[in-house]
This record gives sequence, structure tokens and C-alpha cells, in this order.
Amino acid sequence: MILKNSSPAPMSCAEFQEQLPDLFAAGGRSSIDDPSLSQHLETCENCTALVRDLQYIADQAKQLLQPTHEPSDSVWKKIQEGLASEPSYAAEPNEK
Amino acid sequence: MEVQGLQMTETKTAPGLFKRNPPIAGEAEAIERAKAGDAEAFSKLYALHKRRVYTLCLRMLGNVSEAEDMTQEAFLHLFRKIGSFRGESAFSTWLHRLTVNLVLMHLRKKGLQLVSLEETINPSEEDSPKRDFGSRDTQLAGSVDRVALERAVASLPPGYRMVFVLHDVEGFEHNEIAVMLECSTGNSKSQLHKARLKLRELLRQSESTAQTDLKEAAL
Repeated sequence: MILKNSSPAPMSCAEFQEQLPDLFAAGGRSSIDDPSLSQHLETCENCTALVRDLQYIADQAKQLLQPTHEPSDSVWKKIQEGLASEPSYAAEPNEK
Repeated sequence: MEVQGLQMTETKTAPGLFKRNPPIAGEAEAIERAKAGDAEAFSKLYALHKRRVYTLCLRMLGNVSEAEDMTQEAFLHLFRKIGSFRGESAFSTWLHRLTVNLVLMHLRKKGLQLVSLEETINPSEEDSPKRDFGSRDTQLAGSVDRVALERAVASLPPGYRMVFVLHDVEGFEHNEIAVMLECSTGNSKSQLHKARLKLRELLRQSESTAQTDLKEAAL
């Protein structure tokens, strides 16, 4: 008697990584509900490190929301010059 | 002034954006006064938002001179359009959307077609992130500082940088980015994934260089 193996072939790294754009768009590792994806992550150190790093980068990106750069003073001067030609602009008495 | 491609009406914003862009003290009053043409109030709004608008322009354009020009454009446009702000989203979210649209329009005028990111600003093979199958000891140390991350983002190819800044930094959703860039949501997701892969590669190189420097300094 030949026994049929009903379990699907294990997912390869390439197949797993193809799913990553959608996986992260859905919320990252915590949103994994596909058993074959979970199984691959449990057994593959490389893909586990990759997912952890990509999640880390996405988390760290949020700190860039706080600005680091400041425009030069000439920008405000040019804005004021532009505003002066706007009919509804009531010029302020003091320079900024 | 109606400008092609600019969405000056407010769109429904993801609740997270209110969390990421909480109201600033005195901002609501300044907005109302600026709507009436009050120059001092507009000056206050400029002082409150100039850094974030300029930083956004700089990250999208990668050029100080163009970033300053677009910051100027964004605030002049803000003055003309502030009357249409109804407070349904955070003011900074609305202002950033206005800025992003202006920058994208500027890039299109320069001849950069944003319709298909894959075909037009797809990086060269050399710039593409490497696939990561089977290599070991690949994990980031988990202590990437802001300066290193900022530098890595600045060195991303333009298409990757654009989507990364809009999604991961500014908090726009893929469907919003797809509308802004006139591409599919799948394209936006794919570009973002490639951007993060490329950043990982750049940050690992940066960590490796820092470790080598430390070892050399210790000798």
C-alpha cells in the first residue's frame, strides 16, 4: 500500500519572501494567519531575521517624523514677498 | 488657482494620523485667524510647521535648493487654500498632503513620469536590494541611530525613497500613495518592500564599517 503524503511541501525562502510585501501591508508578523508562512518562520532563521529587521526599520522610520532640517531665513522672506501680492493679505507690522 | 493633480479638498484620514499628528497648542486659533488673512497668524503657522514641511520636501527631492523652493510654494499655496481646511483631519496631515502633491507635480513638470514607478525610476541592478536566501549572521544589531537611518534613506534610489518617506515616515496608506503616484497599490507595496530591503543592506554596511573602525581604533 502506498501512503499518500497529504501535507503540502514546505515553503521555500523565495516563496516566503514573495509574500512579504502583502504581509507587511497587512500589519507585519503579528498578522500572519497562514500556517505555511508561520511554519516557515519557525524553521528558518534567515527569514526570521529578515522579518525582524524589516519590522525594526519600519518602526525606526517613525522617529524620522520629527524634523531635523530647517529652511534658511530667505525662504520666509520670499514667502512674505509672495504674500504681499495676495489681495487678501493683511501685512503684519513687525518683521518675523 | 486650480492646479492639475492637486487635491485641495480634505479626504478621510486614517485614525492613526491624528495620533501621529496631534494638535499643537495655539494652532487652531492661528488657523482661524489666518483664514481671515491675518499675517501674524500665518507667520505663526509657518514657524510651527516650517521644519516638517521643509524636511519632507528635502527627503522627497534630495536637494536643498529645490526643497526650499517647494517649501516656499507650499506655504504660498497654503495661504490661498487655508479657507478650505475644515478640521476633519489634523492640520499637519492636510498641509503635508498639499506639500506632497506640489512636490509630485514639480517632479512631473521636470519630466519624471511617476505613472509607473517600476518602469521610470526603478533603480539599476546595482542599486536593487539583494535577495536574501540562505545567508547567515544577517541580522541588524538593533541599535540603528537616527543619523545612520537618515543617511541611508537619503541614499535610496528616488522611487524607493519616495514610497518609504510617504508610507513609513509620513504615515500615508498604500491606497493614498497609489493615488498620489498614479500607480497600483501593489506597486506601492512592492516599492516599499524593496526600499526596506535596500535600507537593511545599507544599514548593515554602515554597522560593518563602524565595527571595523572601532577595531582599528583599538589597535
